[in-house]
Amino acid sequence: MPEVEYATTLPLSRALIWDFVKDMNNWAPFLTGYQKHEILDETDSVWTLKGDVGILSRMVNLRAHITEWVDNERVAFTLTGLNEKVDGGGVLVMEDVQPDAGGAPAPAAPARRPWFGRRFLDWLFRAMFRRMHGEAPKRLAAPATAGAVQSRLTFTLQMEAGGPTGPLVNAMLGPALLPAAEDLANKIAAHLERVHLGSEAAA
Amino acid sequence: MWFRKSKQWHVDVDVVVIGSGAAGLTAALAAHAARARVAVVEKADRVGGTSAVSGGVVWIPNNRHMAKVGIADSVDEALTYVGRLADGRSDAALIQRFVETGPEMVDFVESSTPIAFQALGRYPDYHPEFAGGKPGGRSLDPGLFDTNQLGAWKDKLRRSPVFGMTAMSVTEATDWGVFAKPAALPFGLLAKRFKQGLVCYGGALIGGLLKGLLDKGIEPMLSTPVRELIIDDDGRVIGVRAEQAGKELLIQARRGVILASGGFEWNPELVRRFLGGPLTHPNSPPGADGDGLKMAMALGADLGNMNEAWWCPSLQIPGEEYEGRPLHRGDFATRSLPHSLIVNRRGQRFVNEAHNYNDMMKAFFAFDPVSYERTNLPAWIVIDQQYLDRYALLTYVPGMPVPDWLVKADSLDELARAIGVDGKGLAATVGRFNRFAVEGVDPDFRRGESLYDHFYGDPEHQPNPNLGTVEKPPFYAIQVHPGAIGTKGGARVNASAQVVRVDGEPIAGLYAAGNVMAGVTGPGYPGAGATIGTAMTFGYIAGRHAAASARPG
Repeated sequence: MPEVEYATTLPLSRALIWDFVKDMNNWAPFLTGYQKHEILDETDSVWTLKGDVGILSRMVNLRAHITEWVDNERVAFTLTGLNEKVDGGGVLVMEDVQPDAGGAPAPAAPARRPWFGRRFLDWLFRAMFRRMHGEAPKRLAAPATAGAVQSRLTFTLQMEAGGPTGPLVNAMLGPALLPAAEDLANKIAAHLERVHLGSEAAA
Repeated sequence: MWFRKSKQWHVDVDVVVIGSGAAGLTAALAAHAARARVAVVEKADRVGGTSAVSGGVVWIPNNRHMAKVGIADSVDEALTYVGRLADGRSDAALIQRFVETGPEMVDFVESSTPIAFQALGRYPDYHPEFAGGKPGGRSLDPGLFDTNQLGAWKDKLRRSPVFGMTAMSVTEATDWGVFAKPAALPFGLLAKRFKQGLVCYGGALIGGLLKGLLDKGIEPMLSTPVRELIIDDDGRVIGVRAEQAGKELLIQARRGVILASGGFEWNPELVRRFLGGPLTHPNSPPGADGDGLKMAMALGADLGNMNEAWWCPSLQIPGEEYEGRPLHRGDFATRSLPHSLIVNRRGQRFVNEAHNYNDMMKAFFAFDPVSYERTNLPAWIVIDQQYLDRYALLTYVPGMPVPDWLVKADSLDELARAIGVDGKGLAATVGRFNRFAVEGVDPDFRRGESLYDHFYGDPEHQPNPNLGTVEKPPFYAIQVHPGAIGTKGGARVNASAQVVRVDGEPIAGLYAAGNVMAGVTGPGYPGAGATIGTAMTFGYIAGRHAAASARPG
């Protein structure tokens, strides 16, 4: 199964990031390709996305199901294609980066909140299928300060097409996953850095 | 038009070719071979035009590869065959020039590029039973092309939204049963080839032509639309006014300008004005908007074949787009395989569904003078579960979920209501069709009689590879639209590919080839690759003639 992992570090606390993530409306302006979605229940939703598949663009309907939600720490989900034979899933993990401890992440207190997880997926899926137009989100080069708060955002994404055409579709999906994962993580980071660090970094 | 006054040229060459499809690239190669300095200008940011998204097959009668598949041919047979299809609506001298020059063009292309054609011995002409028609061999397959040969130009090769992801030559597609056994295709191998950068069909043809051009030091000027032809005081075309990066670019053409800019199928105004039927779903890239045709018209070019197109019934998956416009997929097999038929709003069949795409489309335009409407539009392809159990349909392959873009119903009556078709008419039509399918004979429209029909059928289906009952629910339907691979009306040319005025005299310095030129086959479509075969041949003729013409003093 094609799988990619992308990690980025932000000079922000996890709490700030999650405050932003938990409301899908925060993310909507960033994303293209979104057509519509329908909330089915606390953990499931159906999404219609307009994504690039190789050379052309087409509509993809996916059912998203949250399998794990740990507040401030991780969210895991599965994806099931409704009009395409494609399945997958992903995990987003947030960790505190403590420079004094050699960068080892600190454990977070678990708190399960499926509703927030769904909001996160609202944003996540739209980012995944958003076309990359060659220009990565601009990150601010915030100066590292000894002892400053840092968080690491790691996104793992898997997608696999099944059926007779699966091998061919996977050959096309594979190269598209990493840009999607990078775009996802960097868009979060760029926005939050601009909001919370913009004036500092510019100074 | 634009008269050169005192402005300085930015680029000075002998021959300017407008367009980078098969006609344009062949013209450029031919002009270069005749020692001309050549510039190829392309308004898109990719090389290949309509040719790159096509099947890439080249139809050339009497080509030397036919002997390898054991099929004999002659100029006389080809003239007889093409002449009948042209129906008196094309210049006999042009048909003769095409037939006589085509084999020479093939040899030239193979000696100038990495392309090694292979005759498709089992791909019949589109009317193989007509006098002079052949059961195969005239259609040439460019095979596969490794895009890594293009170096930095690899990503500048236009990819087909339909064929661009499956590197499978036409020969292989035929051998592997692409229509009858889609689920058995070697998708693992195709994935490997995709990763390797191999392409097929039009991508392979254009890739090979581009490689030949690059090897000669000619790099197409992309994103460079030509706005006007430039003439001197004597009316001779001496260059073009183009735009590049928002700036004017004046290119001098000391020996000639070759229009190879494609058709006008994406220009609604020209379509309404000229075509004999409503062309609503063109299959080509959106750049085929008639800009070259209008440049020729501005210089007083005579026009021909303007009411014709390379017609092709087209299907659309909602939401699919190519270059920001709806993607219209030509349908070549759905209507030819068993367990399918096409009906109009009365629920009636009206054509041999399996007949060649160009000619069968004309039945869609039938006009009832009393009701003042086209009785066969809209039209629908109707299939049943037997079809989906065996055959592919657009992106669907057996084993995949039933697409939500198909209208689905548990009964024919319910299906008829869903698509706005007369239910009683559909029931009667399907009942009659099913009897024909069991008998293996279609006395109404002769579906499944021709060798051509069989090529797109299921050879293992008996008693007729094109006829199967439509009786197993659920039933499905998809609307079939009037489409075209491209238009084929345009500037009239003489046997040297020079654009002529209404008095028959050439416009000095102006040539045309491909879909911007009045089609040499008139309304007919002789065989697979006739579009590209004629385009490349007249591109070859134009390139050589322009390069050999005298430089104006």
